[in-house]
Amino acid sequence: MRRPKLLELVLQNLLRKPATIQYPREKTPIEEDSRGVQYADLTKCTGCTLCALECPADAIKMVPIPQGYEIPAKNPKRIYPLIDYLKCVFCYRCVKVCPVNAYIVTSKYDIAVPVQINSEEYSLSTVKKVSE
Amino acid sequence: MTVTKVVEIPLVTTEVPIGPQHPALHEPLLLKVYADGEEVVKVEVNTGYNHRGVEKLCEKNTFYRDIFIAGRVCGICNTVHADCYVRALEYLLDIKPNNRARYLRVLAMELERIHSHMIINAIMAEIVGFETLFMQIMLDRERVMKAKEILTGNRVLGDYMMVGGVRRDIDEVKRARIKDLLVKLKPRVEFYKKVFEEDETIVKRLVNIGVLKPVDVTSHSLVGPTARGSGVRIDSRASDKYDAYDEIPFNVITRTECDSWARMMVRWDETLEALNMCLYVLEKLPADGNPVPDEKRLPRIIPQGESYARVEAQRGELTYYVMSDGKSTSPFRVKIRTPSFNNIINSAFMYIGLSLADVPVALTSLDPCISCMERVTVIDLEKNTKYKLTIKELAGGKV
Repeated sequence: MRRPKLLELVLQNLLRKPATIQYPREKTPIEEDSRGVQYADLTKCTGCTLCALECPADAIKMVPIPQGYEIPAKNPKRIYPLIDYLKCVFCYRCVKVCPVNAYIVTSKYDIAVPVQINSEEYSLSTVKKVSE
Repeated sequence: MTVTKVVEIPLVTTEVPIGPQHPALHEPLLLKVYADGEEVVKVEVNTGYNHRGVEKLCEKNTFYRDIFIAGRVCGICNTVHADCYVRALEYLLDIKPNNRARYLRVLAMELERIHSHMIINAIMAEIVGFETLFMQIMLDRERVMKAKEILTGNRVLGDYMMVGGVRRDIDEVKRARIKDLLVKLKPRVEFYKKVFEEDETIVKRLVNIGVLKPVDVTSHSLVGPTARGSGVRIDSRASDKYDAYDEIPFNVITRTECDSWARMMVRWDETLEALNMCLYVLEKLPADGNPVPDEKRLPRIIPQGESYARVEAQRGELTYYVMSDGKSTSPFRVKIRTPSFNNIINSAFMYIGLSLADVPVALTSLDPCISCMERVTVIDLEKNTKYKLTIKELAGGKV
């Protein structure tokens, strides 16, 4: 039985750079349109709760917009979807079912942090702060 | 049901638990092996370490949420699970996706077949102690993962299927990139196939290990590459011609050697077939309209009825039974039958006569997917009577 030329392959790999990357220091190359962190644009959101109902992972909770932020007129219930990214499975069902296309999608993926992470900061950055 | 036969274990045997921590794959399955010296005399397959109650979860959630739950039954075969469930819903709703959507579905499923077959071959190399080959195959598998990321938006969990089509379209740039990745992958797969054919270590460890005769395959209803490795020509892609499989040319690979090696070779040949199919799809992708349905306009309530869909998953035939009562937004019943459930639980007879060291090899050659099979619990409680199901009843054949 003839041996395949694995030795050649080994020698080739000796001269090559490692295939692995040093992840936290070096970012994984990903597609621009891959499914990453998504959040609601509060200037568009009407607070209809459809995304929270459709979420397969129950990661979306409708919460009131806190005091000190400008509340858009089209949001009579004054609520917005708060996504818990640790529960979220990034299926983008919320993005697709939103009747007013209020979701902003990004390809941000490195959300493995020890603290609770949700879309509060992202969503509230889309509306202006009102000084009382 | 009553006890028809109690299997007596001879006192001379030693009980060797293989698993549940690491039987062969990094998934929980316990093979209780009874060995007489080195020789295996009996194997009990114990499951239940990974049961998540997915079927019940599907009944509690709406039809559309279930598409994503079905995709999470198994990580490696997520698009086939979703496709099967989605097709069951489409039969109930009488919706037909357009040609472009059907072709894109096949593309996603075949990309998944390539990476699934590559990972099990890599794991087989690792099991026989050939770690260099494992690393090499896993490195080349990254190309398929990248292709899948370009197509679906995620490396592993595609979430690509939707009632009436797919969830993302591809443009010319993406098409060229996927094609480029697959063209580069093809010589590598051919090389690995050659390694599996010619390398002494692999051939010595795989040939004549875990022989499954065609008659046993049929009587124990084994499916997928396990059956095709024993010369049984069973493939629901060829028999059902769902999605676009009626228009895409492909061969059903069978081998007659019946051993672990034959099953792995069937997988390599299928990988090459799948590569050709993907390239065909990318070249001949029809342009008959938008394959992405508007998810806001899909009907919330599915008409009353029941439907049964099957696909050829990477490990064999996968079926979904969906029942709708026509009133609620969630299914009345979802029944999933996965190929690994048949292949692993029904094949306890295969290990008999093997030496202990060959048990992981034989198990890996079946491509077990534990998260797929952890779905069925046999509960048959009669009034104040307790009984145990013997292996014969469970396997429906030889012990």
